[in-house]
Order: sequence, then C-alpha cells, then structure tokens
Amino acid sequence: MLRFSFIFRGRGVAKRFASSFSNESALPSNLLLPTNLVDPDRLKRPPPPADSSLPPLRKCDAAVPAHLTPVQTWVESLERQDSEPLGVAQLHPDVFAVPPRLDILHSVETWQRNYKRISHAHTKVRSEVSGGGRKPWKQKGSGRARHGSIRSPIWRGGGVSHGPRGPTSYYYMLPMKVRVQGLKVGLSSKMAQDDLHIVDSLNIPTPDSQYLLDLIRHRHWGESVLIVDVGEDFSENILQATANLKTVNVIPAIGLNVHSMLKHEAIVLTLETVKFLEDKLLWHDERYTPLYPFKLPYSDFP
Amino acid sequence: MAALFGCTVLRRAWLGPSSLCCRTPGAPVSAAGLRFVSNAAPEDNRSPIIESTEEYKYVERLIPSSRIPTPPKHTGPTPSGWIPPADSPPSLPYMIRRSRMHNIPIYTDVTNSNRKLTLIRKVEGDIWALEKDVRQYLQEVTGKELPTQVNEVTMTLKVKGHFDKELKDWLVSKGF
Repeated sequence: MLRFSFIFRGRGVAKRFASSFSNESALPSNLLLPTNLVDPDRLKRPPPPADSSLPPLRKCDAAVPAHLTPVQTWVESLERQDSEPLGVAQLHPDVFAVPPRLDILHSVETWQRNYKRISHAHTKVRSEVSGGGRKPWKQKGSGRARHGSIRSPIWRGGGVSHGPRGPTSYYYMLPMKVRVQGLKVGLSSKMAQDDLHIVDSLNIPTPDSQYLLDLIRHRHWGESVLIVDVGEDFSENILQATANLKTVNVIPAIGLNVHSMLKHEAIVLTLETVKFLEDKLLWHDERYTPLYPFKLPYSDFP
Repeated sequence: MAALFGCTVLRRAWLGPSSLCCRTPGAPVSAAGLRFVSNAAPEDNRSPIIESTEEYKYVERLIPSSRIPTPPKHTGPTPSGWIPPADSPPSLPYMIRRSRMHNIPIYTDVTNSNRKLTLIRKVEGDIWALEKDVRQYLQEVTGKELPTQVNEVTMTLKVKGHFDKELKDWLVSKGF
C-alpha cells in the first residue's frame, strides 16, 4: 500500500524507463506503476514551438550569433490564477541555452558554501595546556615509564598533537568568468527542464499567501519557487504574501546565485529582470581584462 | 680682500630674505617660531566661490571603455593579415566561434619542453565531425596519423604537435 505518491521529475515516465536499445519496447512488461502517479511534466503547459507565428512581446537587445536562434518562452501573468499566457518572449541563447556544464555548477555551488566558512575548531597543543612544565618523576629508578611532562599527547588530559588549529578560513575566489558561466548554466538548465517562467510584472491582486500557493499548485510550477525582480521597490502585496512562506521567496536580480537556483524548483523572472540579466551576463563575453578594478568608473559599464 | 668681499655679499644674501620674514606687528607667533598664521579678516572684494560641473566632460572623455569594439569593415586584405569571419556561418555540423579579440581560437602548448600540443577551443555542435576533418586534413598536410583528444565536456580538441598556422589558415578558408 502506498502512503505517499511518487513524483517523477524529468522528461516523463516513459522516457525515464526507455531502454537505450531501440528494438526493445519503451516500458518493460513487468513494470508495476502506482495508480496515483503524478507526472508534473505532462500537466505543465508545453513550451511554444520554435516556429510559432506569434509576434514576440520581447526581443533580444544584444546581437544573437548567426548560427544560434533565440529561445522562446511564454510570458505569463500573476493577476489571475487561471489566466492564459500573454504572449511569447525571445531570450538570448548565450544566457539561456548554454551547454549544461554540470562541473561548473558543482564548483560554483561548493565555492558558495565554502568561501564564507570560518571553522573555529581549536585544540590546545602540549605547550598551551596549563601545567606540564616539570618532569613528573626522575628518569631512572622509579620503575615507571620515562616521561618529560604530564601534558604530552600520550597522557590523559594532555595536548592534542595534530588537532585543528583554528580559526581556519576556507576563503578562495573562483575566476569571475567561471562564476558568470555558472549563472548562465543554471539559468539554461532551469529553462531546459521547463522550470523557468517569465512573468510581465509581480502585481498580484491580494496580499494573501494562499493565493500564491494556489496559483503555483494550479500551474504545476513545483514545490518551491524563487521570484526574481529588478530594483529595490517591490509591490507590497507580493512582499506580504511571501513573508510567511518558506518555500516561495522573492529576491532582487543582483541577488541571483547558483545555490538559490538549485534550492528552488522553479524560478520566476520578470521581463525587466531578463533584460538586466542579459545585459550583465553578456557583457562578460565582450569585455577587456580589467585595467583597474571594475568598482571604479568605466565609460560603458553595464 | 676678495674673500672678505665675497663674505659680505653672502651675508647680505643671507640677511636679505630675512627681511621678508620680519614679523608684522601684532601677528601671533607659533611655538616653533618659523610658521605663523595671518588672522587678517577676509577681504570683501574677492570673488565668491563658483561650483561648476561643466568641465567634467573633459574627464569623462578620458575614461576608457570596458567593451571590446567590433572591428570595422575592411575592403580587401588587412595590413596585419587578419581575416574577418564569413557573414553567414558555413553549413557544417560544427561551429568554431571567434575569441573575444576576434581571432581564431587555436593555441599551442609545450609541456616538459618536449611535448607539443595544439588546442582548438570554443567548438560547438558535432565535435567528432571536426575531429575527423582535422585528422584528414593533417594527414594530407603531414602524411602522418596524429593522435587527437576530444573533450566533450569542455568542447575542446587537442592534437599532438604544433599545427596552429596550418589549422588557422584551414579554418579561415572554411569561413569560421
């Protein structure tokens, strides 16, 4: 008896069980699937076809390379729970369709965890433990083993010979371009797995958290959603709605990072956020090596 | 005699500037006795301080750009021998992008002073087709079967030996 429903993520149940040998059937004959199986991918809206004739609501500002085509996605609205998408937006392939470099994602994620880490583990060495300056008994004649101090590491209560000597810092910086590529790979992976949603703006009708949860459940976005917007001013409704929710979070676009992208199942971007991200991330592909730190003014810094 | 004369001249030269240092009556004396501050009231016929930001444009035009410019359109061969990529990408199963300085991404490497490698970076598409074409081209050029290494994760191709000039000319002739 099943106490919880299985949720299979990915391209669909059939494809996951598809064998690599093409002459065998798609599903093995002795497969037992539970009846309350939920496949979110089949319930989600499919992405717009590549040759759709709808005029795009948003085109890429930067020049797209001639051998690549822009990625097309739906632009949705948060006003009503069951509203249809407003149109189609075109996204730059060098940000939203880069090859899935999982090794870069892993290295950026571990860097994000470790560069802030300072471990305060500290043990005392035999010279730091109090006492132990005097030879406990004379070298010869007492019948006991020879010792020089009562705080040597072989004694109980003695110092630790090779213990942690904190505080230790685990700070290191990955190259700027690697971190930028990590962001691009994260966005592309979310787009490829249909977990990236574009929204025209973050205006919701009520400051009620239940409205957001119902909307997310209705559209099968996933368990956790990361909402990203540009600028410091957010509408009061969305801030109040997400204030008490643990799995739905709002961040500004400068706060987008690989760890948050991996932690949340779905990511919601506004159209201004897409423009901001494309500006900032594509600049790294055509910039000079820094003559002086980028914190100081340049004439055309993004 | 001359020495005495020189001495008095020197002395007058020493004493001359000291007259400028004579204290004006009523001026305060600092502890060191060398520097002093004038407490005279600011004169009213001085012009007021004007703040102007119009001259900042002379500073702004000196601030450098951070983006690499696109090269201008050349008609005919360039003086340095640089050849721009073709307007439309060639219809091959693979694509090799230009570097950020608009050059072909082929680099050579020497390790342990005797191991030579040629590296082709920034490959997109079917990298095995590129490897086949590179091997065939180098077979025609050198007559030897050269070992190659394909890295599908980083999309790079390594060839044993230094063949950067030949491979660059070959890729440019293809239109990359």
